[in-house]
Amino acid sequence: MSLATIIPYPSWLNPADNTWQLVAATLVGLMSLPGIAVLYGGLVRKKWIVNTMMMVFTGFSLTLVVWMLWGYNLAFGHLSHFGPTGSFWSGFIGHFQPLSTAGAEQGQAVSGANSLIPFHFSTATLAYFQFVFAAITPLLFLGGLVGRIKFKAWLLIVPLWITLIYCVNAALLWGGGFFAQKGAVDYSGGYVIHLSAGVAAFVGAAMVGPRRWQDRENAFPSNLMMVAIGAGILWLGWNGFNGGDPFYAGADAASAVLNTNVATAVGVLTWVLMDMFFSRQKKPTFLGAINGMLCGLVAITPSAGWVNGTGAIIVGLVAASIVWVAWNYLSRVRPFSKVDDAMGVVYTHGIAGLVGGLMVGIVADPGMVQYGVSGAHFKGAGAISVGGWFYTHSFHQLWEQFLAALWIIGYTAVGTVVVFSIVKFVLGGLRESEETLALGDIAIHEEEAFPEPTFGEPVLTPSHLHPDNL
Amino acid sequence: MKLVTAVIKPFKLDEVKVALTELGVSGMTVTQARGFGRQGGHIEIYRGREYEVDFIDKIRVEVACTDEQLDAVLDAIVNSARTGSVGDGKVWVVDVVRVVRVRTNERGPEAL
Repeated sequence: MSLATIIPYPSWLNPADNTWQLVAATLVGLMSLPGIAVLYGGLVRKKWIVNTMMMVFTGFSLTLVVWMLWGYNLAFGHLSHFGPTGSFWSGFIGHFQPLSTAGAEQGQAVSGANSLIPFHFSTATLAYFQFVFAAITPLLFLGGLVGRIKFKAWLLIVPLWITLIYCVNAALLWGGGFFAQKGAVDYSGGYVIHLSAGVAAFVGAAMVGPRRWQDRENAFPSNLMMVAIGAGILWLGWNGFNGGDPFYAGADAASAVLNTNVATAVGVLTWVLMDMFFSRQKKPTFLGAINGMLCGLVAITPSAGWVNGTGAIIVGLVAASIVWVAWNYLSRVRPFSKVDDAMGVVYTHGIAGLVGGLMVGIVADPGMVQYGVSGAHFKGAGAISVGGWFYTHSFHQLWEQFLAALWIIGYTAVGTVVVFSIVKFVLGGLRESEETLALGDIAIHEEEAFPEPTFGEPVLTPSHLHPDNL
Repeated sequence: MKLVTAVIKPFKLDEVKVALTELGVSGMTVTQARGFGRQGGHIEIYRGREYEVDFIDKIRVEVACTDEQLDAVLDAIVNSARTGSVGDGKVWVVDVVRVVRVRTNERGPEAL
């Protein structure tokens, strides 16, 4: 091979697309590490910080291993046909095979997600990008489980849940599966990630049981500055979350980023104003602002590049208002009042994701084109865009969104019960013991977030812990 | 000799310190403390839920002085720490049997 033919860019690879996709993926990865780790670590009691962060880091790692061994191809590989073409059974899951050969990683990315338009980067880029989305999902529903779930149980729940639930939902909506074929859309995961995580958090919290009552009564967040850092990383990380999902560093990526930010800003302001005027205490609270931020981010996710700026503002406003009411009132009625969803994931992710997913069917603007390429065939009808009721005066899209939401809620709920039941059977329980729960981090990990060493300098040498004395 | 212990509002510490140094008090010990008196606790709101905080942040000031200085010291503390609202704190005095300066082993009032 002559030197002239050795070029880093195969003809199908576009350096800008590849770069943006890897940057976007890294931004999304930062949302988990350290974003979720310090956000949740800041929201739990001091005695649970280490345990919470440990579950974030181990969950992220477990998902990547699963993703390489079978997850990616289950969710985004070629669909397995268990039934006639076009039926549910031919479009709910990919193939069970690892992603580990040089050819598989360095070849051009192909996915049922948009098989009609070629990707301009390699499979490794797409696999990593899709991995960080998969990885954050269990970390989100972890928010419902912190403060009592057994650490060993978490290590089993993550791989099982990713395999049995995430991969199926992703294949159905993103991998070109049944709901994608029907016309339901999810720009970046309002359903596959957030609605699903919200449902899993709620069902999981019900199965694991509530935190100790002492931990609930005394649920002082450990550090609001850490919450600010985590929340800020989530917000700006979302530029990769939604900005990466056109899969091209094009105009729609920019629209998605701008829409995401404006919906989020409106979400923050909506929640703060509702707190100031409608809450019992009439106080604007920082953690309320963070809730509003999450509502905006989550709700714009299913529609980020398919709505115009006005649509994004409406999404942020509607989602934050609905979730605020749910947070303050729905939480008082059964079954919500009976389940200890520690971080309120079912509200800020579940309900916000549901609202956002349905809003696609209302405010999506057919003028917002996902790929600025005319003639690219998508169902034989030009470039990809989505038309909501405002523009098409048809409830068709809303109906498709509604059906997909029913599936996500139902399947995730049942699947989560199955996964947690298996783990409960294997380990003989999902909770740490009562004595462990009373102590928290120090009992589970022999570490604490703010260790206090003995005062002064050691005098008696060498100590009994010194390696010479063991 | 007497030991004066005052529990005061944290933001009043600098005023108390200035008042005491003006009197010629040679030293003081300050500790961050928490407690409650007739003021009781207060409410904090996290994610829409109210939590009762029983103990409020206070500063505990300890000053050792001679018997002659005592009333001036008490006046200085009380006048500088007062805001007039509940929660201004308490001051109490106990007898000191002996004071020793570690560096020189001096004992008695000259060790203050």
